Amino acid sequence: MKLHQPLIILILVSFVSLTAAAQQDGPPYTVKPLPPGGAPPRLPDGHIDFSGHWLPNGAGQGVSGRFGVDPAARGQFDPKVTPEPRPAFQPWAAAKIKSMSPTELELSRSSVNCMPRGLPAIWLQNPYSTVIVHTPKMMAQLYEVLNNWRLVHLDGRPVPKNPEPWFHGTPNPHWEGDTLVIESTGFDDRTYIQPNGWFHSDELKVTERYSRPSMNYLIVEITVDDPKVLERPWKSAPRRWTLGNGEVYEFYCTNNKELEELEKLKELEAGK
Amino acid sequence: MMARILGAAAAALVLLVAAPSSAHHSFAAEFDGSKCRDFTGTLTKVEWANPHGFFYVDIKDPDGKVNNWSFQTYALITLRRAGTTRELFLDNVGKEVFVRGCLARNGREHYAAAGTLKFASDGILRQMGQLQD
Amino acid sequence: MRLHIRAAAAAVAALAFLYVFSLPAAAQRPRTAGPGQKVGILEPGGPAPRASDGHPDLTGMWWPNRTGIPHAENTGADVDRAALRQFDPAKTPEAPPVFLPEAAAKMKALNATQRELSKLSVNCIPRGLPAIWLSNTYAVQLVQTPGLLVQLIEVLNNFRIIHTDGRPHPKYPEPLYHGNPSAKWEGDTLVIDSIGFDPSTFVSNNGSWFHSDELRVIERISRPSRNYLQIQITVEDPKVLARPWTSAPRHWTLVEGEDVHEYYCTNNPDVDEFQKLDSQGK
Repeated sequence: MKLHQPLIILILVSFVSLTAAAQQDGPPYTVKPLPPGGAPPRLPDGHIDFSGHWLPNGAGQGVSGRFGVDPAARGQFDPKVTPEPRPAFQPWAAAKIKSMSPTELELSRSSVNCMPRGLPAIWLQNPYSTVIVHTPKMMAQLYEVLNNWRLVHLDGRPVPKNPEPWFHGTPNPHWEGDTLVIESTGFDDRTYIQPNGWFHSDELKVTERYSRPSMNYLIVEITVDDPKVLERPWKSAPRRWTLGNGEVYEFYCTNNKELEELEKLKELEAGK
Repeated sequence: MMARILGAAAAALVLLVAAPSSAHHSFAAEFDGSKCRDFTGTLTKVEWANPHGFFYVDIKDPDGKVNNWSFQTYALITLRRAGTTRELFLDNVGKEVFVRGCLARNGREHYAAAGTLKFASDGILRQMGQLQD
Repeated sequence: MRLHIRAAAAAVAALAFLYVFSLPAAAQRPRTAGPGQKVGILEPGGPAPRASDGHPDLTGMWWPNRTGIPHAENTGADVDRAALRQFDPAKTPEAPPVFLPEAAAKMKALNATQRELSKLSVNCIPRGLPAIWLSNTYAVQLVQTPGLLVQLIEVLNNFRIIHTDGRPHPKYPEPLYHGNPSAKWEGDTLVIDSIGFDPSTFVSNNGSWFHSDELRVIERISRPSRNYLQIQITVEDPKVLARPWTSAPRHWTLVEGEDVHEYYCTNNPDVDEFQKLDSQGK
């Protein structure tokens, strides 16, 4: 019995610490998951209307940097329910990612270098809100982070054969029932699929599937097809966004003092 | 029975280790998570810009000398959505603040990443630490 | 051999015919310009379309002159110089702004490098309001739905969201690049009244017209005909201007069949070099 005492104390300490850490985030929760909110709205032409102010979580409001948030309201999907597979990199691509130094990885991140996140990172790794203004002829997407936009025409106009490399690609949309499918090609080579070094080739093709099962929920599913980088196409979990209160803020990157500091670290790393 | 308790303890420990206090992607590169401490001082200025807000605090060091420290925050949207507004900062200029922050890795003086902040005027604990994304 | 070529030519001609005339109804043929063509002031094009709530629908891709053709002056076409202007100064003259003596002196004191660095095309910061209307040679896409006007600004890929339901200014307006708007329709004109501006913007690129924290910008936007967007700007700034300044009614024209482009400022290494010039020049 004596031998077990330290273990029991350790266990008790662990759980107490957990509880203490969680105290700020324990119940009662002030930020909870949104209910479905009834049927989704429709456009005059009968299609689902994706218009709204969307937050990348289940709460319809900010969940970052706050206490009192119900864990069920955080995040865009539950990995136990809809697991998201790891991308299957080709050996050369996996090696390239692994060879990035910590500073190179930092400098590649949009949140550090202030370049646009681009597609599909804007749907996969974006803690800020997105506004969609959707009419039968077009869908404008306004991304709060860095105040960017993307315009998707839904009037059947022809898609250029050799699109210029853009941060958000060139979209080719079509409806499949109540799901809007957008296939995009022609991407600027400076974007990353995720800010963990996942780069892409010029053969990147991104497919987005938008659905709105209820008033308060937008679901975006992404497929990344990159035959030069991936062994096979990668599909995200269905990611949820919830309807916010319409307060959208300006976010222009005008001060990034860290960049110079990070560059210095890069020099130190190279000097090793 | 003991195996199960051990297992649970192991799991609890893993959970603790896996949840860093105020980690952020660039936090690790620029700031030192092992050099965090509490600060008390007078708020002198706020710079309301992106991708980082900055606030400045006059802090007396152990020798009694007052230095003006700068603290880096989340992007402004995150602060606002969590209920910390520019107006709040401006209203507290000249007043006491309590900050917990972590020092820069490269030894840069009087410069830290803010993790939490409390205005003496309302005593509410606010997260300032950078976003984990 | 000849038969093949002629058949091929006929096939190509047939395809071209099909392409030109079987475009979906909603996608318009782009107005084109090339060597040998004449480009003049675009015709009004009939009445402006109306939105479901009865207001003029401002939706469209708009070009900042009266040709309706982006960069017409670069196409080799014979372009009427009057069409390259947003208004006719003989008909609707635009008085220059009258600056307070201190402000005028400050602007005059800028050296060449400071003047360069204040230019939005150099420093890559958002143009802000009202420079996006007064000093902008790129397109603007407007998207209007009931209660909402969204402005997609081609240069620097920024956007602006304007609620058109007359909601008041916020109690504590933050200094924003596009200010804090309060907007409502007055008949067929959308009136947007904005306050609270970021200090780093310039009203226009001419002579580095800076502003104070008391800047107030009033936009009056209407669509007098299908092809025309009309914008009139009033600038109030009691710390910089001797009296409020109002622009002439400025005209933008509808562009069809072409899309707004991405335009991100991702490489402008010159700015640091400019800064060095500045410190050397002092």
